[in-house]
Amino acid sequence: MATTAIPEVRPDLGQDEKTDSESDLEPGYLVICWNDPVNLMDYVTHVFQVVFGWQRQKAEHHMLQVHNQGKSVLARESMEKAEFYVHQLQKYTLHATMERD
Amino acid sequence: MKLIRADKDNFVFAFGRREKRLLFELLKLYPLVPVSHHRLSRSAKIGKDDENQRLLEESLAAQRQENKRQVLAMLHEPGRFKETESGFRFALSPPQMDWLLQVLNDVRVGSWIALGSPDTEAGEKILVNDETAPHYWVMEAAGFFEMALVEALSGQLPG
Repeated sequence: MATTAIPEVRPDLGQDEKTDSESDLEPGYLVICWNDPVNLMDYVTHVFQVVFGWQRQKAEHHMLQVHNQGKSVLARESMEKAEFYVHQLQKYTLHATMERD
Repeated sequence: MKLIRADKDNFVFAFGRREKRLLFELLKLYPLVPVSHHRLSRSAKIGKDDENQRLLEESLAAQRQENKRQVLAMLHEPGRFKETESGFRFALSPPQMDWLLQVLNDVRVGSWIALGSPDTEAGEKILVNDETAPHYWVMEAAGFFEMALVEALSGQLPG
């Protein structure tokens, strides 16, 4: 009886090169909210609570950092997640960007 | 605009007749902030910058279209504002409150941009004249309604 040769699949044991998509998965992106003179302080606190699910105390801390220091780093995330947060914050018309750490 | 009652499902506000008209006029202005106003990043170090910026603008444009649809639906929904002796009662669910805040803040920030984005915290004065007065009025009026909504919500979010 003739046997059917089963192709052998070997795992790729070679050294992986770091690709862009891999580095994008690392939490190397900062989500930053910048101060502006138009967004109301209580509104900013509300948005932080909704977008990040924070308690009011933490949200107020970051809001005051934005107000007093000009900006606050809200999260350190992968590229995709940082983009998501920036989109959410901008949906509320806050001045938010993502920057490489 | 005064909060009359709040529970986990609904917020009920009392509105004067003029306040209702004012809110409607503000909502009709939405959206005011140009989509290109938002930048994904301040630096040019993030890969696929143009593509990401395009995606951001598309996403915001879609969101605004949906908000605009909801604004129009709310303005024309029968029974949304129930008439009382002194004005109107207006009921909103928590998600509707959040959505209304987004819309009002767009109107507020858009008016500020139309005023030339004055940095009042750095001492810049807002120049009020015949041309800019409507923007200034809209910015302040939107802020008035926002504050009422945020105050009502502050009792509902985890403190």
